[in-house]
Amino acid sequence: MTRREKVLAYLENHALSIPQGVTTSEISEAIGVLRPNVSKELNQLVREGRIAKTKGRPVRYYVNHAAEAGESKLQQKPNIGFAGYARIRDQRIKEDTANRNETDVFKHMIGSRGSLKNQVEQAKAALLYPPHGLNTLIIGATGSGKTYFASKMYRFALDKKIISKKGFTTFNCADYAHNPQLLMSHLFGYVKGAFTGASTDKDGLIQEADGGMLFLDEVHRLPPEGQEMIFYFMDHGTYSRLGETAKVHHADVRLVFATTEDPKSSLLQTFVRRIPIIIQLPDFNQRSAHEKLQLLEQLLTLEANRIHKNIRLGEDVVQALLGSVTYGNIGQLKSNIQLICAQGFLNSMHNKNEISLQFSQLPPNIKDGLSNLANNRQELGNLSRLLEPTMVIKPDAERGLPDIDSYELPYNLYEIIVDKAALLKEEGLDQSAISNFIMTDINLHLKSFYRQGKIEKTDGGLSEIVDQDIIDLTKRIQQMLQERENYPVRDNFIYAMSLHISSFIKRIQSGKPLRTMSTDLISMVHDYPTELKIAERVKNLIQDHYHFPIPESEVYYIAILLVSLKSEPKAGKVGIVVAAHGNSTASSMVQVVSQLLSVDNIAAYDMPLEMSPKIALDGIASQVKNIDQGNGVLLLVDMGSLSTFSNKLTEKTNIHVRTIDMVTTAMVLEAARKTALIDSDLETVYRELREFDGYSRTVEKVQKKKEYVRKISDQREKAIIAICSTGEGTARRIKDLLDKILVDNLIDDITVITVSVVSMSEQIARIQQNYQIVAATGIVRPQIAAPFVSLENLLQGGGERFVSLIEEINNHAAREAEDLEHSELLTKETSQNYLEQYFTFINPVKIAGVLWDYCDFIQQRSKYKMSNGFKVNLIMHLAGALERYLTRSEMSVDEQRLSGVRNETLYPIIKQANEILNKTLNIKLSDAEVFYIIELFNTEKEKMIHKNN
Amino acid sequence: MDVRLLRIDSRLLHGQVTTNWAKAVKVNRILIVSDRVAEDLTRKTLIIQAAPPGIRTNVITVEKMIRLYRDPRFDILKPMILVEDPVDAKRVVEGGIKVESINIGAISFDTTRIMVTDAIAVNAADVEAFKWLHDRGIKLDVRKVSSDSSKNLWKSLSEKGLV
Repeated sequence: MTRREKVLAYLENHALSIPQGVTTSEISEAIGVLRPNVSKELNQLVREGRIAKTKGRPVRYYVNHAAEAGESKLQQKPNIGFAGYARIRDQRIKEDTANRNETDVFKHMIGSRGSLKNQVEQAKAALLYPPHGLNTLIIGATGSGKTYFASKMYRFALDKKIISKKGFTTFNCADYAHNPQLLMSHLFGYVKGAFTGASTDKDGLIQEADGGMLFLDEVHRLPPEGQEMIFYFMDHGTYSRLGETAKVHHADVRLVFATTEDPKSSLLQTFVRRIPIIIQLPDFNQRSAHEKLQLLEQLLTLEANRIHKNIRLGEDVVQALLGSVTYGNIGQLKSNIQLICAQGFLNSMHNKNEISLQFSQLPPNIKDGLSNLANNRQELGNLSRLLEPTMVIKPDAERGLPDIDSYELPYNLYEIIVDKAALLKEEGLDQSAISNFIMTDINLHLKSFYRQGKIEKTDGGLSEIVDQDIIDLTKRIQQMLQERENYPVRDNFIYAMSLHISSFIKRIQSGKPLRTMSTDLISMVHDYPTELKIAERVKNLIQDHYHFPIPESEVYYIAILLVSLKSEPKAGKVGIVVAAHGNSTASSMVQVVSQLLSVDNIAAYDMPLEMSPKIALDGIASQVKNIDQGNGVLLLVDMGSLSTFSNKLTEKTNIHVRTIDMVTTAMVLEAARKTALIDSDLETVYRELREFDGYSRTVEKVQKKKEYVRKISDQREKAIIAICSTGEGTARRIKDLLDKILVDNLIDDITVITVSVVSMSEQIARIQQNYQIVAATGIVRPQIAAPFVSLENLLQGGGERFVSLIEEINNHAAREAEDLEHSELLTKETSQNYLEQYFTFINPVKIAGVLWDYCDFIQQRSKYKMSNGFKVNLIMHLAGALERYLTRSEMSVDEQRLSGVRNETLYPIIKQANEILNKTLNIKLSDAEVFYIIELFNTEKEKMIHKNN
Repeated sequence: MDVRLLRIDSRLLHGQVTTNWAKAVKVNRILIVSDRVAEDLTRKTLIIQAAPPGIRTNVITVEKMIRLYRDPRFDILKPMILVEDPVDAKRVVEGGIKVESINIGAISFDTTRIMVTDAIAVNAADVEAFKWLHDRGIKLDVRKVSSDSSKNLWKSLSEKGLV
């Protein structure tokens, strides 16, 4: 009898005695088959229609005699691999209703009868409301599907013939948020002569959308005057183009707005009041497990349609994908799916019918999804009930082509992969090299694509320290410089300039004395007439904005700031220099890699055997200088003797250099791949590479010791320098920020010193007499041999970068501790050692094993994965409880808290576990002790949640 | 720096401290002060593992503790300080850290020590340190968890004829 037959036989035998059906556990116990296996068989049987299951928990299964005849047709072509009966019934209902009422596009929207039920009702009501429907605002977090929802509203309106004209016009207000006039001219149109460059009359989007629907995304970016014009239009149906005085134009437009923000704080109240329907879309994580799976399935089907192959994936991949969704909701899920489908596609190119997504091949951030999910027991439980070991997604033309949304790549990634792979194959590369190369490519594509949408996020860090008003002003200045002065500015302009403005405005407002103009300052600025001229304009803009005079000295400081921002080379990639003995060893390795990856941040230095170390050092130094893009250089060498060069090179070139020895082509390739991303930093690349394939670390260890010695022998105090144009404003803000970080990390041996760009090198030289500068930050990168953290990185990362940098400077203990917690080094023996040290009456040798088993029992029953560190701590606690029992000094807890703990799901499990102690040791722990054990678990869980946030 | 609790416990940070004391005394930091543990990665790991959520926990040496206490930059800390034994407690107080009482949780028994209460064992050095602390008017408060009724260790030591 097969397993399945056993399950079926059991169900049939009990059909009469237990008509309400039986649960998976009951069957599992009765026929002696493991629960997951029973569950698998049951799901299979359900899908085949031979049995049915109840809704609600616990799920009960029963023989489905009625279904055998009727439903079997449907089940012959299961299109999806999960969710069994419930899902199939869904489909049936869908098909039924689709026949009856084909014009309701919402029926096919996932969640339309679940988490989006109300929203769909609202949308329909808004559209059907006579005579012209109601204007609607959709609120939802990034990626929650606002555009998708709006487009469905449009389809609905079209199908119901509510709107006369085909036309779904979308406009993202964020696109022109920095230029209100341009934005308004797009929306409303303009007449000839309305502004410079308006050479003809032009209709706006409102006119274009006449008779159709206009979707305004990110409406909170619409300036107040724009909102006013829109609500006038809502009230009267008329509007004026820019440059017209009378509102004479008429248009019949359904307006749908969307925003990620709270409308109360981001929109004019007069505007919000005119929008009667506000639809709030749920976050991805508020959706039910069932809907999440449906969404996943739908998104995978889109990809399957694109590649015309089946997609096969295991439940671990499904869980990882769902768990990997954090802030970005469905949009994030979509991009993650695209990424791993591209990867799967690449790995399964030889297979014509199917691509397979393997957990082991997922990128780490998606793999982490599994542990994210594992921390949410309930969610994981709900999901696993719906999941099967493998899921196969087939292309399904009817499930539609991708809707147009901002998460669609503007090109076909799969075609690019096929072309690239063919090309590389012709070049004679092996499969793994091709895969590596193309994955780098895919990552870059996706990264650069999704980065476009992240502009708002970057402002976030800044707006915490600078008023939004100043940020907006700075953006206007940036615009002015770019468009009118044709003066190039970079991303960090916003950071540096807004901090600068903010600090001197505060200074002026608080009536502090004007900054003096030193002769140094004046002579420095006079070398830069262009910047001085532009600074004058900037000053005027600021003056107009604040309506008070800005002192002339500020023009000089602004000029200095502009010069500084210009002179700093854009933080580039980490450079690589390969140095090896032999006439062409290094250059041939470099040649291979640069051909493979077409990278420009790598250089070689060949050392014929007779070359003297002195010449080699000079030669390498010049290569290091050549290749440095401002982010430091990784030196890959073939032999130990070269690896001592790091410090000498740093001294010689003032460039941060890290060395790894035993270079191979594979390692150069790996290094080139890791440094291909502009934002990777030397320390991270170095650390990752050191772990790459277990290459020798011995050299670094030796070197570490040396560095250590060097640091010890350096009697100077450690300092971080913060640089801004004045050395007072921005730099002081940075100092405050860093001081806070230092205090937070209990670091008392590093001082933060502010430095002005004016006469910077003299100041630094002076500081270096008393201090050892360990890091720098600010508006320019000083010429010193210390890591530099740019202003954006500092502010965006909330100082995270600095903390890791400081850890790097001090030691690695914190990181190591993290690793050790999950290490296999913490064993039963470890706990035995500690038991011996701390306890008096219990016998560690005999007790350690019992308590270890106790932990395993709880872990198994509660499905809560304990780290070994937690386990050892729990064992120590339990030993304490045993000893308290033995010495009759048990802890007490008041009745109220005790009764609270009895409702915990863990309570019965701990009670069962305590039975083990009772059986083996004849010790019965009191409920107060149970309380503390459960508290321990709760604290631990809380901590995991903390960590993941 | 506002030291909310100075506690002696051989095991330093563990379940009772995490679940009970950290909540009861409203601290924003837990400082484990021990020269031995600062050098012992395994113990450090286990202690950090036992830390409660939301409260940062650091392991530092006695010398650093004293340095931080004297440095006004760290005035915003409201820590609970945990030391392993009375000798370290004495060093901390000697270094200038002001407390009115010291909480004693448990001191493990070993061959040099004798039990004075169900959880506290002392040796000559410990008694010496307790004497020093007592002489400075510092209350020696014995409680496992904050809701226990407080017992005075000095009394137990006297009853045993140790002081």
